[in-house]
Amino acid sequence: MDTGSIPGPLWISFKLAAATTIVLLAAGSFLAYLLVYRKVPARAVVESLISLPIVLPPTVLGFYLLILMGPKGAFGRAWEGIFDSSLLFTFTGIVIASVFSSLPFAVQPLKAAFAKIDRRILENAHVLGLSSLATFFRVVVPNSAAGFAAAAILVFLHTMGEFGVILMVGGSIPGETKVASIAIFEAVESLRYRDAWVLSLVLALVSFSFLLVVNALNKGEYDGIKS
Amino acid sequence: MRIKTWVLIALIFLWGFPAAASEEKLLVAVAANFMVPFAEIAAAFEKESGWRIEPVFSSTGKLYAQIINNAPYDVFLAADEYRPGLLFKDGLCEEPFVYARGEIVLFSEQSDFCARFADWTEAVQSDAVKKIAIANPETAPYGAAAVAGLKDAGLYESLQGKYVFPQDIGQAFQYASTGSVQAGFCALSSAMTDQGKKGCYLPVKQAPPVIQAACVLKRTQNREAAQGLATFLSAQAGIKIKEKYGYR
Repeated sequence: MDTGSIPGPLWISFKLAAATTIVLLAAGSFLAYLLVYRKVPARAVVESLISLPIVLPPTVLGFYLLILMGPKGAFGRAWEGIFDSSLLFTFTGIVIASVFSSLPFAVQPLKAAFAKIDRRILENAHVLGLSSLATFFRVVVPNSAAGFAAAAILVFLHTMGEFGVILMVGGSIPGETKVASIAIFEAVESLRYRDAWVLSLVLALVSFSFLLVVNALNKGEYDGIKS
Repeated sequence: MRIKTWVLIALIFLWGFPAAASEEKLLVAVAANFMVPFAEIAAAFEKESGWRIEPVFSSTGKLYAQIINNAPYDVFLAADEYRPGLLFKDGLCEEPFVYARGEIVLFSEQSDFCARFADWTEAVQSDAVKKIAIANPETAPYGAAAVAGLKDAGLYESLQGKYVFPQDIGQAFQYASTGSVQAGFCALSSAMTDQGKKGCYLPVKQAPPVIQAACVLKRTQNREAAQGLATFLSAQAGIKIKEKYGYR
């Protein structure tokens, strides 16, 4: 337990963040596309629901997911019916939880990026006979690279630091759901401060370097205003 | 007067009220397994002494870590003898005393679960049991007792894939009693609550009994009341409540 107490949880956090980022870039761009280019019924309600995880305590989200994904919850029962395995306390379970929890961090930057695209380019694509799907992949995506990069980094970092939701639905299984933030919590509570130091330092450095990259990339945008 | 002044006055009042109300209060750190009996014991003690009891429930290890970092508790009710002993050695608490002897059981919320197996070893090995909750053995003495029982039965290694590790024995019971796991190692006292009686439990003979010690913390400002609560734990009223929940 001692040797695996540092690299193990870090690896799981990394895997979780990578999986969540991939899922959310797909799901987030779909949602953002609908919200920007299509008529969405009850738009205010939908947008509020998507943003909810930003303001909601993670324990509230975790509690709902615990009930929903549990053996008595609708989602958990359906999952068990299809895959014959439970969803709670599994890696897949915490990926789903993180997807909900990080949803706004994918949708907001993508929405902003899509909205900035000149409508005339899209109209041209339409006139030239491109289907919606082709327009999305050949016009929208290449024109919103910065939005995708921002969404990916925000989702990745937010998931690396995910704590409350996973505490509720993860079950702290070594090698499966014991992510770095939970390992830090347990190390501190068990007075293993050395482990807590190492894990915290790694998380802090990773987050800092990613943000450094983002800010370096953004620098160009402001330079013009200053001079 | 301007609105700002009113807000200021309101703030001063709000600040002052809880402080005034909290003076006759004991803050007690209680191991999670003792949650339900302690609520009854605290109510009885409050009635007798006029002191208000404010319990904080967590695993023994977590409470210990808080206490050595100067958490403002008056009394510590642990789920082992080891950590109160450490506090005593470091001069942080008065001499510890044993207030309860608890027991670990294998609990399931399915009331027909226990009749299906000859004993707990058969149950945990069954395919019907996909996940088993064990409170984090590092910080929860009841989790450590469960691990000791599993090791004694020679099953600990072979069941690795089934374990889920809740943060304390209370969360272990929560997972088991909601059916999130098919079975969980829980305190016998949890199985004897109203919620617990809806399910069933199998005794775990291989697990050692959990000997629980308590101590009055040296930093307390209310030494007499804290001592009073300590005495009350072992007095007739306290013993009755403990027996009701399966403690010896």
